[in-house]
Amino acid sequence: MILELRNIEKSFGEKQVLTGVSFMAEGGKAFGLLGRNGAGKTTCIRILMNVFPSNGGEVLIDGKPIDYNKIGIGYLPEERGLYPKKIIIDQLVYFAQLKGMSRKAAIKSIDYWLQRLGMTEYRNKRLDTLSKGNQQKIQLVTALAHDPDIVILDEPFSGLDPVNAMLLKDVVKEQIEKGKIVLFSSHQMSYIEEFCDSIAILNKGKVALCGDLYQIKRDYPRDRLVVRSVNPDKITRDFGTACTVCEDGAILIQLDSAEDKKAVMTRLVNEYDIDEVKVYEPSLNDIFVQYAGDSAGRDEV
Amino acid sequence: MKQFGSILGFELKYYLKNKVFVGITIFLIILIAGVMFFPRVAELFQSDDTTSIVTEKSVMLVKPADSGQVDLYEQSFAGAFAEYDVQITEDSEESIKEKITNSEAACAFVITSPTSYTYYVDNLSMYDMNTEIANEVMAQMYRLNALVQSGVAPTEAMDIVSVQVMGEVESLGKNQMENFFYTYIMIFALYMVILLYGQMVATNVATEKSSRAMEVLITSANPTSMMFGKVIASCLAGFIQLVSVFGSALIFYSINKEYWGGNMIIDSIFNIPPELFAYLLIFFVLGFLIYAFMFGAVGSTASKLEDINTSVMPITMLFVVAFIVVVTSMSSGDIDNALMVVCSYIPFTSPMSMFTRIAMSTVPFYEIAISISILIASTIGIGVISAKIYRVGVLLYGTPPKIGAILKAVRKA
Repeated sequence: MILELRNIEKSFGEKQVLTGVSFMAEGGKAFGLLGRNGAGKTTCIRILMNVFPSNGGEVLIDGKPIDYNKIGIGYLPEERGLYPKKIIIDQLVYFAQLKGMSRKAAIKSIDYWLQRLGMTEYRNKRLDTLSKGNQQKIQLVTALAHDPDIVILDEPFSGLDPVNAMLLKDVVKEQIEKGKIVLFSSHQMSYIEEFCDSIAILNKGKVALCGDLYQIKRDYPRDRLVVRSVNPDKITRDFGTACTVCEDGAILIQLDSAEDKKAVMTRLVNEYDIDEVKVYEPSLNDIFVQYAGDSAGRDEV
Repeated sequence: MKQFGSILGFELKYYLKNKVFVGITIFLIILIAGVMFFPRVAELFQSDDTTSIVTEKSVMLVKPADSGQVDLYEQSFAGAFAEYDVQITEDSEESIKEKITNSEAACAFVITSPTSYTYYVDNLSMYDMNTEIANEVMAQMYRLNALVQSGVAPTEAMDIVSVQVMGEVESLGKNQMENFFYTYIMIFALYMVILLYGQMVATNVATEKSSRAMEVLITSANPTSMMFGKVIASCLAGFIQLVSVFGSALIFYSINKEYWGGNMIIDSIFNIPPELFAYLLIFFVLGFLIYAFMFGAVGSTASKLEDINTSVMPITMLFVVAFIVVVTSMSSGDIDNALMVVCSYIPFTSPMSMFTRIAMSTVPFYEIAISISILIASTIGIGVISAKIYRVGVLLYGTPPKIGAILKAVRKA
């Protein structure tokens, strides 16, 4: 199954929020939707979920306009919140019923998820008696209980302790393995790098960068080397201004061109005491800052 | 439709499990039980000990102008003021005033001539009819005197003066005296229920918004289903409450019917014509819905619960004004005045004013039909607009937007 947003336009009053936003997400893979605060991610998600219509463009599933009666969408919003004063099982069943489940099926599925997330003991408690992390796990149940085809997770890991984060990772991996389209939106780049095969970076309502993450990294000019050595001073002395020392002690050597790569690598290995030498690939963090930072849009065409 | 059912069920359960809702209903039922059983209980105490309820009459002082007619004054005043202990006095005005301020006497008539007097009383009550009665008594005495002096025999003169006129009233339309109480009770119930539930709908929406449960709701359900589900659930809850309160009143009344023996007000309340009940139902449902939709829409524009009170103010004011117009017209006795007629076609005021006109005066059927048609059309219209405002409003956070800005957003959505 392939989800495609094609040329989505949206404005609120005079303010243009999205301009020609297009991207594709594939089933069985996770897709990272990135952007700074206010870049238009939530608006994009709301249009995708049919909360309000776009001013132009289409949302397609396998090339056809999406049929919201057939395609189930599960959503974990960034702004968490359910009914604080209501019994957990009651509200979970209600949300599942709104998504079209029968009461019986809803209870069965919810009990499975509560058990899976270790929340069964809270089944008949009020939501506001739970800790923040546990409330978030309940919220996750509302996104997954109806077995949706598209799972949208907005900052899923914020507020979770490492054990719960691990649990959530397993759940997300399982959803991906089941062939669902998992749409991630997060500012925690390490999680995006861990899960997502493709990304789109939104900047001021436009797609600044979109594509396969591995390919994006490969496409960067391979003209920098990362070197780790027990005796870095010697290298920095010899290579002079081409060197920059990173915070973690690694040395970054800027080459005149990518063709010099092999020669410099051989030289390094032969002449110095080297622990590691590799071609520098930008981290997602670097890519994000480049495409969504304040200076973004000025460097590129 | 399935969604609508789930929302309706969930919301209705919210009301029926709400402690305030259940508490108010039980309190009202107990209150009504207390009132309805009162005569029965009172009689129990009466039959035990009749002597204890002899109440002491308050003293009324009468100072005649000339001492020759003391007996006549005493007789006439004692006859007219049976609830007072009438005493003839020779005291000076100063000491009479003192007695009244010291609460030794309740009031005093100082008669200055056969046709004039001064009435002394400590606090003049709004319902003090004593001067009217005294006017009548003194006029009668004056006429009697005049007749006797002109040669009519005293007994004959007495008959002439105290002649009783017999009259019968047959109302061809409605008897407003009888209808007043039940109409008032119904209008007041309508007023209470609409305000109470309207506020509840607004708070309910704002709570969902402030707790951010809306983020999940709005992505799971159609806003029109949400709005209609909520409002119709609150309408059902209000109806259940009214039925339980009035139903229990009816049951308690039938248990205690004999003890109420011929109390005009109570009897009139429990003898409401059935067709009036049908109209009450129609106007209750439509009036409730139109206001609940507005309250819900306003609730969706508030981000915090604290904002609710100021946001709903214009709607509450509109409704209070409608109530005041109706109640003022009811007590003035002129039900079909121009303002009431106009109000009975305006959808926001017609539930109360048209109903009052039907209950207390004679309204042609076509007028009722027009009024109800306008109300139905407006209720549907307001419902649809409210759902649109709701859809836009629930996603707006921060300061509540201006009405113009919302309408603009609604038009574009």
